[in-house]
Amino acid sequence: MIFLRIKILIGVPLIMVLSRHIKSFAKISAFGSFLAAALFSGLAQAEYRLNFQDPVTEVARDIFGLHMLIFWICVVIFVLVFGVMFYSIFAHRKSKNYEPSQFSHSTSVEIVWTIVPFLILVVMAVPATQVLIKMEDTTKSDLTIKITGYQWKWGYEYLDSGINFYSTLSTPREQIDQFDKENAVEPGENYLLETDNVLVVPSGKKVRALITANDVIHAWWIPAFGTKKDAIPGYINELWFNVDVGKEGIYRGQCAELCGKDHAYMPIVVKVVTSAEFDSWVAAGGNFDTSPLASEETIQGAGKDVNPTTAALTQEIVAEPISSSSVIDALVPVANAADEASAKTWTEDELMAKGEKVSAMCSACHGATGKGIPGVFPAIAGSAVATGPIDDHINIVLYGKPGTAMAAFAAQLSDEDVAAVLTYQRNSFGNDTGDIVLPADVKAKRN
Amino acid sequence: MSHAATAHDHDHDHHDHKPPFFQRWFMSTNHKDIGTLYLIFSLAMLFIGGAMALVIRAELWQPGLQFVDPHFFNQMTTVHALVMVFGAVMPGFVGFANWMIPLMVGAPDMALPRMNNWSFWILPFAFTILLSSFFVPGGAPASGWTLYAPLTIQGGMSVDMGIVAIHMMGISSIMGAINVIVTVLNMRAPGMTLMKMPMFVWTWLITAFLLIAVMPVFAGAVTMLLTDRHFGTAFFNPAGGGDPVLYQHIFWFFGHPEVYIMILPAFGIISHIIPTFARKPLFGYSSMVFATAAIAFLSFIVWAHHMFTVGMPLQGELFFMYATMLISVPTGVKVFNWVTTMWRGSMTFETPMLYAIGVVFLFTLGGLSGLMLAITPADFQYHDTYFVVAHFHYVLFSGAVMAMMGGAFFWLPKWTGHMYNETLGKIHFWLTAIFFNITFFPQHFLGLAGMPRRYADYPVQFTEFNQISSFGAFGLGLSQILFVYIIVATVRGGKKATAEVWEKPEGLEWTVPSPAPFHTFDEPPVVK
Repeated sequence: MIFLRIKILIGVPLIMVLSRHIKSFAKISAFGSFLAAALFSGLAQAEYRLNFQDPVTEVARDIFGLHMLIFWICVVIFVLVFGVMFYSIFAHRKSKNYEPSQFSHSTSVEIVWTIVPFLILVVMAVPATQVLIKMEDTTKSDLTIKITGYQWKWGYEYLDSGINFYSTLSTPREQIDQFDKENAVEPGENYLLETDNVLVVPSGKKVRALITANDVIHAWWIPAFGTKKDAIPGYINELWFNVDVGKEGIYRGQCAELCGKDHAYMPIVVKVVTSAEFDSWVAAGGNFDTSPLASEETIQGAGKDVNPTTAALTQEIVAEPISSSSVIDALVPVANAADEASAKTWTEDELMAKGEKVSAMCSACHGATGKGIPGVFPAIAGSAVATGPIDDHINIVLYGKPGTAMAAFAAQLSDEDVAAVLTYQRNSFGNDTGDIVLPADVKAKRN
Repeated sequence: MSHAATAHDHDHDHHDHKPPFFQRWFMSTNHKDIGTLYLIFSLAMLFIGGAMALVIRAELWQPGLQFVDPHFFNQMTTVHALVMVFGAVMPGFVGFANWMIPLMVGAPDMALPRMNNWSFWILPFAFTILLSSFFVPGGAPASGWTLYAPLTIQGGMSVDMGIVAIHMMGISSIMGAINVIVTVLNMRAPGMTLMKMPMFVWTWLITAFLLIAVMPVFAGAVTMLLTDRHFGTAFFNPAGGGDPVLYQHIFWFFGHPEVYIMILPAFGIISHIIPTFARKPLFGYSSMVFATAAIAFLSFIVWAHHMFTVGMPLQGELFFMYATMLISVPTGVKVFNWVTTMWRGSMTFETPMLYAIGVVFLFTLGGLSGLMLAITPADFQYHDTYFVVAHFHYVLFSGAVMAMMGGAFFWLPKWTGHMYNETLGKIHFWLTAIFFNITFFPQHFLGLAGMPRRYADYPVQFTEFNQISSFGAFGLGLSQILFVYIIVATVRGGKKATAEVWEKPEGLEWTVPSPAPFHTFDEPPVVK
């Protein structure tokens, strides 16, 4: 723990020196030692990095090389310039009776220090240009995936095979909310870097991503791939990556453009598999249960995971008993779902139970207790919409409210999801309408 | 000149006759008093913005949400930035300009004293509106100080209050800039040609032109936001066919020159302090002037380097990368000039000199990380991470704010007539410089390791550096109480300052007594 040592080396003697000389610093010193102690204890299970994540694509390696090249050029310039300055500070001081010289310009020196930096810039610009040209060439891709940013989740659609699903944060709320220490749970190892569904891509293939957003601007970023692009509503941006064969494993990233309240809670998890594994996953309709990806041996057999918890996460994916509605959307063709829904007779209890799960989607804005945030996100509890006519309630959920953060959920939620969540909302949070909304009611309101 | 005539009409006035309290501080047209008001306002805003920074750093002490919810966290980051940029740094430099430009060019006052009064008094109202937005439903603006559409279009009524406040700040800045330009171009003492002007005056003249050029652009952008929000237009709203990227282009066409608006006057202050304590003339005066002008020109053609990830065409990315890299040439010239000014001088290290050296050293560090950010492929990785946060705090805190602190110690004896306590001044410098680095240096590592900015909560591997940063932030914040103490103590008493204050300093401001009398240069001095 180099930095800890540095901190102690600098901080503690400084506090000691100060407190020795000035009485009023005694208190600050005590406070400082307290903080130092707190810092020390918090560092017990340190796992920090000083530099970029290990690159796993050619472009990421190029970027890393460029980054280090420029870093070292800057270090050399910095050391030279300030070596001169500190030598001067040491040597040319009045206390040494140094007689000041009175020179004030030198044309030749000034020309030199204009031209030399310019030449250094040219040395930097040439490789930078080469890498940039390579990064922006999205032609000849093997596979295209459409990525859509939502407040606050990601949607993925494989344009070649039609597989599509949403990916939301799977870190439990108890780990995030630490306001109430009693009920709080220690953050896990992949805190805020884990999702219910993961993007699956093959290694050794040029994957092209088309990136857009549904509401506000987001940015899709996987550091190890060397890719970051804004997801902008009304635009379709492009990026590509080609993960090295042999680097299969789980890679994690986060949203990198402020997108509102839960900006920190929409991570990106990508699972890189071999080309053959990917093909069978696609053949199984993207179903984790029936594709070879389900078997743990496959994952462990690959043995190239960059992250020790990959196995655990994979298990989570495999074993997951489809806990959220978005998984259903992802894995079951919509038509089937609709057929099932119309065929099935729903009881109030079933709708309420399902609605409670689906409403996790609503609570991102409207709050877990339906209270919302006054002035920003309206309450569901006691609201005119959730206690008024059912048709209006269905409409706002399916088609959103233009000009506000209320998105249209028609494409994200099935009829039964909407029916369940509306039934739940109309009979929870103190709302007591007694209404039961059925999938058929929702279907009737779809255009 | 009409002003010389006015000065003669008031010959019966005693130099130090000051109006009663209310007239003096609320209706003042005196450049020194208005300068003082600006500086006090700026200091107050530094503490308000700093308090918000401490809320941010407290929440980021460890993963999970301990103190504030993410929505309030976003309000903190947004308003912290708006307060620091428009409340602390810009008015702070206008305060320096008000106090020093007339003294430096040998003018009796600013050219437009009543407008001067107005441009100050707009500010307290603008910030009352901005800060009171915390108390409206939904709280203050939370979409980042850049106010990117369409996130801003979702915001509550506080966004409209913010837009009104920005309009008022813009009017204030533009009036301040007009005043500087008119004063500098018309009221210089006889014999002071443009190329004999002190560097601070030069940097402010160029800053003033930047302000006039870009503040209306920002006003236009936020007005379009306002009509998108309320009057059914769709400039930036994609739901109506608008273009969110257009907002970013307009914003950064303002935003990048804004960065130089905040740093050029700091360069000016440094260019006064270093020669004084090196006892040697500023090296390369004319190249300093040309470098400042070159930076100002280049600042208009680099804006899109703030938005490399929006998906520009390759040609655009290349152009903005090359243009951005070019800025390091004139900036480098300035740094080389300062170092050469020190070379073979006879240096002493009073508090202002410590600040000046600290600024040159730390600003250059921030400049070099800026050069790294200019490299487009690498910027794709740095963009919107804590690396950027570290970079701009190195240029804005250890560049702009620390230059103002150095300038305050440098001219405080001239303003108050008393010497400040040198020991306390030096302690303040070291506390500030050390805690600043503890706060912001680790943020480079956080950014490189992948921590995005504007995050209320973060994965566990970022914990250690966040804790170091938070520890430093509280130290940095608390150290500023000492700054206020030193200033108050100096205003109230202390060793009498001579007219020259320092050892043979250059400039007309050192020819008037300390404290500078209420009215100076009724008779214009002659510059040889």
